[in-house]
Amino acid sequence: MEQLMKILEQTCPGVDFNSETALIDDEILESLDLVTIVSEIIDVFDVEITVDDLIPENFNSAKDIMALIESRRG
Amino acid sequence: MKSSKKWLIVFIITLLGMFSVVLFFNFAVDPFGVFNSGIFSWPSYEITKNPRSAKISYIDENHEKYDSYILGCSSTSSYRVETLNKYFNASFYNMIMYGADMKDVRDEAKYLIDNFEVKNLIVNVYVDNTILFDTLPDRLSYEMPSKLSGKSAFSYYWKYLFMDPRFSYDKIKARYGDEYLPKAFDVFDEESGCYDKRGRDVEHISDLESYYVAYPEFKSYPVSDCTVNSEAINGTLDCIKEIKEMCDKNGINFIVVNAPVYYDYFNDFVLSDLEEFYTALSEITPFYDFSLSTISYDARYFYDTTHFRNCVGDMAIAYIFNDDSVYRPNDFGRYITKENVAQRFEEIADFEPVPKESYSEKIPVLMYHNTVRDGEASGGVNINESLFRSHIKALSENGYNAVTLEMLSDYVNKGTQLPDNPIVITFDDGYLSNYEIAYPILKEYGMAFTIFVVGSGVGHTENYKDTDYPITPRFDFDMANEMIESGLAAIQSHTFDMHQYAPFESEKARENILKFEEESENDYAAFLKDDCNKIREMIELNTNQRVFAMSYPNGICDTLSESIIAECGFTVTFGEPKGMNTVVQGIPQSILEMNRFSVNDEISSQDLLEMISR
Amino acid sequence: MSFNSVSFLIFVCVSVILYYLVPKRIQWFTLFISGMFYYIYSCKLRILYLFFTGISVYAFALILDKLNDRKSILKKEKNAKLLEKNKRQRKLAVFFCCIANLGLLYFLKYWNFTVDIFTDSSVLKFENIIMPLGVSFFIFQSIGYTVDVYRGKYKAQRNIFKFLLFVSFFPQMVQGPISRYNDLAPELYAERKIDFDNIRFGIQRIMWGYFKKIVIADRAGVAVDAIMKDVWSYSGSVKAFSILMYCIQLYCDFSGGIDITVGVAQLFGIRLTENFKRPIFAHSLTEFWRRWHITLGAWMRDYVFYPLSLSKPFAKLGRFTRKYIKGKAGKIIPTSAATFIIYFLIGIWHGANFRYIAFGFWNGALITASLLLESVFIKVKAFLHIDSKKKWYRAFMILRTCFIVFIGRYITRAPRLKTAVLMIKDTFLDFNFADLRNNIFTSFGLMPIDYLVILLGVILILVIEFKQERGIEIRSTLAKQNSFVQWLAIFIPLVILFLFGVLRSEYISASFLYQVY
Repeated sequence: MEQLMKILEQTCPGVDFNSETALIDDEILESLDLVTIVSEIIDVFDVEITVDDLIPENFNSAKDIMALIESRRG
Repeated sequence: MKSSKKWLIVFIITLLGMFSVVLFFNFAVDPFGVFNSGIFSWPSYEITKNPRSAKISYIDENHEKYDSYILGCSSTSSYRVETLNKYFNASFYNMIMYGADMKDVRDEAKYLIDNFEVKNLIVNVYVDNTILFDTLPDRLSYEMPSKLSGKSAFSYYWKYLFMDPRFSYDKIKARYGDEYLPKAFDVFDEESGCYDKRGRDVEHISDLESYYVAYPEFKSYPVSDCTVNSEAINGTLDCIKEIKEMCDKNGINFIVVNAPVYYDYFNDFVLSDLEEFYTALSEITPFYDFSLSTISYDARYFYDTTHFRNCVGDMAIAYIFNDDSVYRPNDFGRYITKENVAQRFEEIADFEPVPKESYSEKIPVLMYHNTVRDGEASGGVNINESLFRSHIKALSENGYNAVTLEMLSDYVNKGTQLPDNPIVITFDDGYLSNYEIAYPILKEYGMAFTIFVVGSGVGHTENYKDTDYPITPRFDFDMANEMIESGLAAIQSHTFDMHQYAPFESEKARENILKFEEESENDYAAFLKDDCNKIREMIELNTNQRVFAMSYPNGICDTLSESIIAECGFTVTFGEPKGMNTVVQGIPQSILEMNRFSVNDEISSQDLLEMISR
Repeated sequence: MSFNSVSFLIFVCVSVILYYLVPKRIQWFTLFISGMFYYIYSCKLRILYLFFTGISVYAFALILDKLNDRKSILKKEKNAKLLEKNKRQRKLAVFFCCIANLGLLYFLKYWNFTVDIFTDSSVLKFENIIMPLGVSFFIFQSIGYTVDVYRGKYKAQRNIFKFLLFVSFFPQMVQGPISRYNDLAPELYAERKIDFDNIRFGIQRIMWGYFKKIVIADRAGVAVDAIMKDVWSYSGSVKAFSILMYCIQLYCDFSGGIDITVGVAQLFGIRLTENFKRPIFAHSLTEFWRRWHITLGAWMRDYVFYPLSLSKPFAKLGRFTRKYIKGKAGKIIPTSAATFIIYFLIGIWHGANFRYIAFGFWNGALITASLLLESVFIKVKAFLHIDSKKKWYRAFMILRTCFIVFIGRYITRAPRLKTAVLMIKDTFLDFNFADLRNNIFTSFGLMPIDYLVILLGVILILVIEFKQERGIEIRSTLAKQNSFVQWLAIFIPLVILFLFGVLRSEYISASFLYQVY
């Protein structure tokens, strides 16, 4: 989780990832940010995330993202 | 949901309401004369907007007034119905439509013959009938009524019902701007069907050079692509044939005329193409060919490069009736039959126009006013007796022949000849001195002259009209008759009372014949006509002479005043003094608003001779 | 049959009436018939292109459906080898389908342009290619559908007519939007009773669209064309003015057209995806493009940008740049490379011309730059104590975005790329304010009243969009007014449309052609 928070804050400084729960729906994260984050996650966590995973439910909060990573690991 | 249903109904009603307002507006105002509803009828405007629809509407209403028709494109307008009526002893309507081709003519002829009484039917063919057939744009201004064209009536009326309502608005707006003379929006005279040329036909015409300056299009006439096409020729011929058959069947006098063409345009055609067309036409019907003649080579006989003048139309009709009292060049007009068409083309192939000098003449006009005895105070336009005598002597010794205005008019209109070195001597106002001093001298030398009298002053020797102001004495009609009996003098108009002297008038003075700025054109026209009638009656009653000439007070006139004067029957007029005239046979405008040389006491006889030398 | 024609309005009325008259079961079929009629009426035989796309995509989608079914069976069986083969087959199918349709699009739109670049000869050119109506919209929409079926998002449509209806739904044919099958299909195939709310709102939306299109855009277009025709005889200020008018024209024309489309669809009770979300209020360029032609942007994002940036080559590129380029730049290079590609595609989507390519790069470059400099901006803001939530700062951001977009419009409107560059140069170096005299404006074919109409129209649009931005529903607010006000709200727009829209074309006031005789 710490690693994830580091990636998120580096990509989008100034966003409170602890409390936001509608990162995509409120357009806080743009597609550009999303892609940067996803490619870093793929690298750092060594998991496979595909285009099909790029849906709002998977990225609306830091928790959701973590859940996605966990599911791909397992 | 319920409120939305209501909303929809209101919406539809509003929309339909707006549509019907537009519809009714277009129907009622009817700027193109399509519906003939009679709510706001203004035929000359409607005919201008679309001669096809509006003339048919007009004829539908007024057909009992006419028994003969002339049809064709816009040059057809130059055959005046007054002239046609006179020769044919009929009642003509001129059906000209701009841009008309023979298909339009056929449609109209068929409609007229089928529905109304027709005695004579003239079709005017123009050379471009060999190029154009059924090519007109599908526009409101060109649409033929559906009952003539055979196209869908629904789409025809639909078009004019749903047209832009600004067309209708324009008509209402124009109504408020309508005046005595035709404006751009009412160029037609609905009663004759012709273009209303009252304003156009009073322009002064003299030498060709100044005509080119006024109408540069004749000089830089563009070479146009005049490749004839067989489709157009065949279509044109078929339609003429159809019309002829209809006329033959109904016992209608059918005449085809081939309109005069400006030579530059004529030369854009290939001669053999035209020969083919003329030959084919002559096989259908003999026709009068005016297309190429000396007229074609002189721009002054044309309004513009495609429209010959009314005076040429008069010549053409006179040719048909073989009336030699109307001037026309010998090479003007040929009756073409299938026997002589080849011969006609030999003539056209090496056609040479008559030189311009042989049908035009440079004529000086002298303008005198008052003469005084030697020793009395002279100056300005008051010249003393011996100077005047020296002038007349010099003219006589130098072979000048004074001509009357009658002779001038006959030269132009009837084609009579003038003596060598013609000159016109005129006096303005009608001073007693004309009788006492000038007349004896002119009699001595046998010089003809014309005096333009101000009617209100004739015979006044003491006072200005009925005031106590003094006046330079004027002669009376006894004296006038004595001069006339000598065979030298003519008395003509200088207006009855439109040469007033402002300081002696209690009301606003008419110093010349122009309209007052605050006056409406119609009021003015009535006033001017009344003045013209007064002076004419006065002179004709007292001298038993025809009044047809006028010199404008102070030489001032404009298009409006000139056209009213022309309507009153004045055919020779004099304007501002500014030099020589070129008088052209067949062009009555060349003796309108003529120039004069103002002669004053500083001009010696030598000066005079120099001034008027050609 | 363009939106502006009377025949279109009549056609819509007839279609709507027909739609609600027929039995509900076949309502969708009348839509299909209307679409076919509309397309054949406008494009004649070019409907064959539409059939090509429709039928090929329909067939490939069925194949993909089959393969997907097989995939789930194989997954259960855990047959890795066959799964791999199945994956290859599916990829192949979607690949062929896309290539066939994009190839058609390429041929129609860009073939002659390509030939021009590489050779001087015109042997290979097809002179008479006439684009079928809405070709890029229906091809994009169909490709989206194919990819979604491939991804297993939904099942393929088995009824060929229903599918052709999805491809050819007529209001979308002129200007889009590009809809998604899962959004549009249920709307199209639904059975409906007439809902007068929809009719009412639809008509209002259509009138609003016509207002933008024929009252404002067509007017502004007259001045733009007049200036562009003779652009070098004017100084920078006039050039800038023409581009300003062009911005107005473009927005009003495009969004007005979409309003008409959405409104017409609403008459049938069909809700279409919105294509514009008041782009004038965007704070940044990326946000502008998220609000302008939304469905194209979203399509590019979902079907090009994501697949591209998560593809293997890009992942490799990412790893490489992160390793060798320190800091933020290293991270965003792959993303911005993908961004460039997207804007390049959006650029050439507009037309086969270098100007549009340059336009793509202009946007790509600015967005990359803003990403790169984001941390710098944050530091500067912190240093200047700027609170980015403050109103004035937001206004500043909006103006800044407008300015960037404005400059971009030079590139798309100028007749040539070089002209655009020189025009921009003149705007900054030779503005010459004094040239904007009163009488110059009337020389562009518009009367003072026309400028007034444009100005008031733009103000009205801004006011309404500002209210919408605040979340106020104009039409519902209106519906609450008393009946006279409501009637005025019908009458006045109709009069305005009539006076300033309809009464503009075809009328030649001085139609006295033969005044001289």
